[in-house]
Amino acid sequence: MTETRLQPSETAQPPAMGRGASFIPAIWDRATGIAGRRGFIVLFLVIGVLLPLIDHNEGDIDAGANALAFAILALGLNIVVGFAGLLDLGYAAFFAIGAYAYGIFSSYQVQPEWWGFWEPFQWLGLVQHIQAADGPGTVHFTVSFWLMLPISAIITAFFGVMFGAPTLRLKGDYLAIVTLGFGEIVPIVARNVPYLTNGAAGLNGVASPTLFGYSFGVKSLPFYYLGLALAALLIFVSLRLKNSRVGRAWLAIREDEIAAEAMGVNRVKLKLLAFAIGAGFAGTTGTFYVAKLQTAAPEMFTFPVSVMLIVMIVLGGMGSVAGVVLGALILQLLQSVILQDMTQWIHAFGDLTGIEFFKQLDLVQSIELIFGIILVVMMRFRRQGLIPERAAVTALTHAQQTAVPSRSGVKSGLTPLHRRTIDPSKPLLEIRGLSKSFGGIRAVRGLDLDVMPGSVVGIIGPNGSGKTTFFNLITGLTQPDGGKVMLAGEDVTGLLPHVIVERGIARTFQNLRLFANMTLLENVLVGTHTRTKTGAIGAVLRTPRVRREEDAANERVLETLRIFGNRLMPRIQHLARTLSYANRRRLEIARALVSEPVLILLDEPTAGMNPTETLELTDQIQHLRDRGVTVLMIEHKLAVVNQIADKVIVLDHGEKIAEGTPKEVHSNKEVLRAYLGRSTDAVAEAAAAS
Amino acid sequence: MESWEILLQQVINGLSLGAMYALLALGFTMVYGIIELINFAHFNIFMVGSFIAMWLMQLMGFTGQSHILYGLPLVGVLVLVLCVTMLSTGVLGALIERYGLRALRGVSGTAPMITTIGLSYILFNVILLTTGADTKNYSNPMPNIRWEIGDAVLRLREVMLWGVSIVLMVTLHYFVRRTKMGKAMQATAQDQEAARMVGVDVDRVVVITFFIGSALAGAAGVIFGLYYNYTSFIIGYTAGLRAFTAAVLGGIGNIPGAMLGGVLIGLIESLGGQYIAVRWTDVIIFSILVLVLVFRPTGLLGRAAPTKS
Repeated sequence: MTETRLQPSETAQPPAMGRGASFIPAIWDRATGIAGRRGFIVLFLVIGVLLPLIDHNEGDIDAGANALAFAILALGLNIVVGFAGLLDLGYAAFFAIGAYAYGIFSSYQVQPEWWGFWEPFQWLGLVQHIQAADGPGTVHFTVSFWLMLPISAIITAFFGVMFGAPTLRLKGDYLAIVTLGFGEIVPIVARNVPYLTNGAAGLNGVASPTLFGYSFGVKSLPFYYLGLALAALLIFVSLRLKNSRVGRAWLAIREDEIAAEAMGVNRVKLKLLAFAIGAGFAGTTGTFYVAKLQTAAPEMFTFPVSVMLIVMIVLGGMGSVAGVVLGALILQLLQSVILQDMTQWIHAFGDLTGIEFFKQLDLVQSIELIFGIILVVMMRFRRQGLIPERAAVTALTHAQQTAVPSRSGVKSGLTPLHRRTIDPSKPLLEIRGLSKSFGGIRAVRGLDLDVMPGSVVGIIGPNGSGKTTFFNLITGLTQPDGGKVMLAGEDVTGLLPHVIVERGIARTFQNLRLFANMTLLENVLVGTHTRTKTGAIGAVLRTPRVRREEDAANERVLETLRIFGNRLMPRIQHLARTLSYANRRRLEIARALVSEPVLILLDEPTAGMNPTETLELTDQIQHLRDRGVTVLMIEHKLAVVNQIADKVIVLDHGEKIAEGTPKEVHSNKEVLRAYLGRSTDAVAEAAAAS
Repeated sequence: MESWEILLQQVINGLSLGAMYALLALGFTMVYGIIELINFAHFNIFMVGSFIAMWLMQLMGFTGQSHILYGLPLVGVLVLVLCVTMLSTGVLGALIERYGLRALRGVSGTAPMITTIGLSYILFNVILLTTGADTKNYSNPMPNIRWEIGDAVLRLREVMLWGVSIVLMVTLHYFVRRTKMGKAMQATAQDQEAARMVGVDVDRVVVITFFIGSALAGAAGVIFGLYYNYTSFIIGYTAGLRAFTAAVLGGIGNIPGAMLGGVLIGLIESLGGQYIAVRWTDVIIFSILVLVLVFRPTGLLGRAAPTKS
């Protein structure tokens, strides 16, 4: 045998495409496989629990508790930045709001005058009545720490939604700048409203939590364990969310917002959800932190805090829970141990050699410079972080890669792909006078079309004739200027893309919009979004109903993937970006099919496929009809159109110039003119004359 | 002071601040227009610019308050400081693009923006660690010539600041509209692929855009120092956020918009400081940013909605 086999080490690694070259050896990636990262998290928690038993130094435990607060913040921010891909540069502001919320509601800072209104609150133990010799006395807030943990989360989530909402419809960059501004003004406001916050001097006398009569006081140990419990909770929540319907929708938004929306994900709602959850966790952590320090000052919550959290995430790996824990751990050790020790060594070296520079050098001060360098270097050379979000997968064996394509799935199991009953006598899709102009260009003008259920309709036309715009108008990615789109008698004109998917129209894209850094299985699971219900709470609790839904979705996905035989099935754990071009096209079709569409729009499904693959796909498209799906497809390969289309329409300059069976269309003069130019008549006449 | 005199004085101050913000906003808007990237390094390129100008004047022997210049020597010194600073920050910006950002061009998601934050942080901390945290006084060679309109005062430095800004902006406008490189920039901003296909060297266009934007930030840095008579490692953050708000207000990607937005933000800052309170300035400007994004995300002069992703 002369052919060279691919070495596992070459293929097990995701290709460098789309990421910077790595300076970390491949052995590390193998050590941090799925088992490796689980082991790391368990080890982290076990050592965390045992540490106070080994280390009795109060200062170390105190530093540990503070470090845990920042690790929790990093985990919360990871939901926003890592999962949903929303760059939040003012996360410290939410931390501050949670801190001040508890600070105000548990100290003597705000003391309104006492009157009847407060009595029920006194009865609930939320306030105390401070008697005064003259007058009605004042109110002292005594809201319990344990109650404030969730309340802070709600308050900060509210702020998150309020400031996130204006930007979430815009490009992601705007969120970065608005959160940066928000991060800057929250400390300013804290400074400017001394009535509430005691201004720059800081809020004092924050009550220490008590639990069953045991007061935490200024002891570090209870806070340390509470912090560890919160960290464990957040790790659990993050992992549960990530592997759920909600988490997949976030990743999809992060990878490609437009495609996510076209697959039925309500992106505004899900982005707000991520933003609110992230902000909520910051609020809870703020409450924890301020209860521990028993003071809150504006300087504790400025921009450098937000940057440090971003650095933890970037270093560890965006979207990777184990990575973020590692990143937080490294940075905290760097700050409080490594740099201090190194500075001492350097000073000792300076004393030894008598060089003034080394005597003076203080590495701890350069921590922020190191942060900057970490950000730049990681983004340039190791964008996926120390522990990438995805564990490396085993490559296919040579035999699997070169196996003969099987198409058994097509023939077997002719279950319908959707559960709707369609009246076969009425058109499924009716389009009337659909128009769209871009500036002076009229991309689609007054288009009419009827598509009968169970048919395959082909759309052909020269490049730039408005075919893809036509698809965008039907699926809501572009808003029409005029006209109507009716699906099974219901008006769907101008609805949002995700609503249109829910109504039963799915699509693929001409230039492939897969979620590149998600596995093949996850890509298709995103397609089930509109047919499943699990929300954030369900995903965390993973109730039996959620489990059943997840299992059913998985089953449905596998069944759909079987349409393509062994083309996709062996690769379901691979990332979409590692697929071949033809497999990407197949994956897009599968992803659209699991949304249970009654009508599927295929935009050049066979583009880039070789003749064998084209034939195979043609066959498969024909079978979609047998399984109850109506097909509207743009296709340049006339052989494909001729073979499977019941009807062909021809677009030119945004107008329908011909409609009929493939045969009728081929002999249409207008069509020849559009394709071959105005001189065809002359050519035809010349041919007739000779 | 009569109330109209107060108003006039604040308008004078506002226009001066506005001229500085406009110069700074231009860099944001030009880079965003071309590669759709918010360049956070721009914040601190401005700050570095004000330090370079300070070092230049120290090198030329201006220390303390004794060196007041008049006439041609003054113009000569100012033009020299301005040109050398602009050239330096321009080169700094170009280096940042070439070696920091080019490798990440076209990478989707948050990576390029995070890189600019990292670069900005590096500039910030290098200046902090090498020069210390104290505020640095500028030795200003500008004579204290002033004209009084009622009780309002117009100083030579304000006239100079306006003059410099107007000359730079007119030059930029002419450059973008009339020269071959300017047209290549417009083409790249509209459609990078199409520009490449008709022979535009997109890499060169991007690096030149960074150069020009950073040079203008350097000019803004010089103006900051001469106007306030001090500089500090911390000035980039606040001024940068305000200038970015100016760019959004005018319509991001839109060059005349950045100029208009800059002037408006300057006026809002000075008038808001006078009639509301200085300590609330940042809150007011942030509110404007949010309001613009809610009600008119294209900005005052912008055309296309920035919803593309």
